[in-house]
Amino acid sequence: METQIRAEVTEFIVTNYLFGDVTRAPRDEDLLVEEGIIDSTGILELIEFLEGRFGIEISEAETVPQNLGTISSLTQFVMSKSSVRQLGV
Amino acid sequence: MPHCANTSDYLLAEAAPDDVALVEAGRRYTYRELRAAAGKLAAELAALDLPVGSRVGVLGPNSFFWVAAYLAVMKLSHVAVPFSDRLTPDDVGRNAGLVGCAAVLADQRVLRTFEAAFGAGVGVLTDQALRSGREPYWPDAGTVDAGADAVLMFTSGTTSRPKAVRVTHGNIQANTESIITFLELRSDDRVLVILPFFYCYGASLLHTHLRRGGRVVLCNSFAFPETSLDLLEREKCTVLAGVPSSFQLLLRASTFARRALPSLRLIQQAGGKLPPVLIEELLAAVPEARLFVMYGQTEATARLSYLPPDRLQDKSGSIGKGIPGVELRVLAESGEPVAAGERGEIYATGANISPGYYDDAEGSVAKFTPYGLRTGDLAVVDGDGYIFIVDRRDDFIKSWGHRISSQEVEAAALRMEQLVSAAVIGVPDDEAGEAVTLFVTARPGAMVSPDEVLAVCRRHLPKYMVPRSVLVLGALPLNSSGKVAKRRLREMAAAGAAAR
Repeated sequence: METQIRAEVTEFIVTNYLFGDVTRAPRDEDLLVEEGIIDSTGILELIEFLEGRFGIEISEAETVPQNLGTISSLTQFVMSKSSVRQLGV
Repeated sequence: MPHCANTSDYLLAEAAPDDVALVEAGRRYTYRELRAAAGKLAAELAALDLPVGSRVGVLGPNSFFWVAAYLAVMKLSHVAVPFSDRLTPDDVGRNAGLVGCAAVLADQRVLRTFEAAFGAGVGVLTDQALRSGREPYWPDAGTVDAGADAVLMFTSGTTSRPKAVRVTHGNIQANTESIITFLELRSDDRVLVILPFFYCYGASLLHTHLRRGGRVVLCNSFAFPETSLDLLEREKCTVLAGVPSSFQLLLRASTFARRALPSLRLIQQAGGKLPPVLIEELLAAVPEARLFVMYGQTEATARLSYLPPDRLQDKSGSIGKGIPGVELRVLAESGEPVAAGERGEIYATGANISPGYYDDAEGSVAKFTPYGLRTGDLAVVDGDGYIFIVDRRDDFIKSWGHRISSQEVEAAALRMEQLVSAAVIGVPDDEAGEAVTLFVTARPGAMVSPDEVLAVCRRHLPKYMVPRSVLVLGALPLNSSGKVAKRRLREMAAAGAAAR
């Protein structure tokens, strides 16, 4: 499940922010905002994707780098949301 | 031309050496450290032996290094050219070529991306030069020709190719003095800077707070508004400055409105019109803070007008009047001032107005006219002299013979509190001429359908202004200074039409 979430999140980022250029795909620990991959409106878009794809709800207070700052933290954050397990991703 | 202080000396003249100048990622730098760092970079740059007045790029996110580099370039009487680190390397390379950059001071974090942007003849220094073994070079304060270029600032280019605005030493100092005066900035102010310094509004925050000897708190992660608010709280910031998209994000996608932010005494809003409903939300969110709505342009160094906080209610929607030292006039096509209530275009005069674009005589003549700076903004003036912008000259939509202000349609849509942002364009249409097309984004978690948005528009707009179509997007395309890139929306609309 973790591998699949990571793959889907990475694909979303590459498709939407890097013009599909897989050679620039961020590594697990790359800082998505600091390294200029995602900007302030991009984060809203990312949240919408996570909510829609994984059936989770993300509150304003959860919109922090600890949860959304890297591919790795994004994957862990999605995993921690119980509804994902119910979805059987 | 009269002479004035060198702008780097001017900016550092008033501060107490041991006061904190900058906060970056939890690290504090005093004015003494800033001057020493700028001196190191100036020494390294002087070793390149460039002729006075050379254009020297500054590239990177807002940082201690960025500020030291900017000061070093001007101190040597070179011309600082701030580059956006959000452009592609090709665009940065083109801009560097446009102004004939001789050298660049670049942040190592972005140099990997942009290395190819600079030709072989361009000298590149990085933040490694801060550890230079050279003696800091910082000669005693001297004077410069007030009309000499200090900075070349690129316009953000929402509609056309960017232009390099010449900003002189005299321009910067005039605008800085004026802003400090009307905002009543203090040496104990701490400003949270979420805007990039390569944007004139961001640069003006740097200029004014350094000149006042205040503290500049850098925040490069505004994509996470909660983290930015934590920083604001932790650093007890007294001043917050943003563009409409910043406040839309804070009010509708963060806990800003629910937080107590007792340190915050001053909020600055510029860079486009914030719809009245969001101004009301902002006032309600931080009732103790004074809110200054302002208007400006890169060609005017930064600011041109402000609305005093005590007039926000009775002059709602106005950009106010000219700031001290600036005269704004609303002129008819004939060049005569319009009568109260009639529409004209805003022209500006003052010591902060740039002498023109770099190496673009034709473009300069169109913008810098005998009547003053032609702003491109259409406005009306009321009986008390308060100016109300109706729209950009280029942003009007002509539909079914009506002239429709995109701002009014956007403001109506944003009455719907599930929305974060709205942008309207005219899409070429055989019958209507242009069809009103509205793009919106919803706040996280909110489900919004185009029909619901249309229903709100119908309630608040005359029939001819109601959008033909509404598209709900995940995000609006923004340019590097946070303004909606309407050109890209037009491209999207055109691509959509072609697909059908």
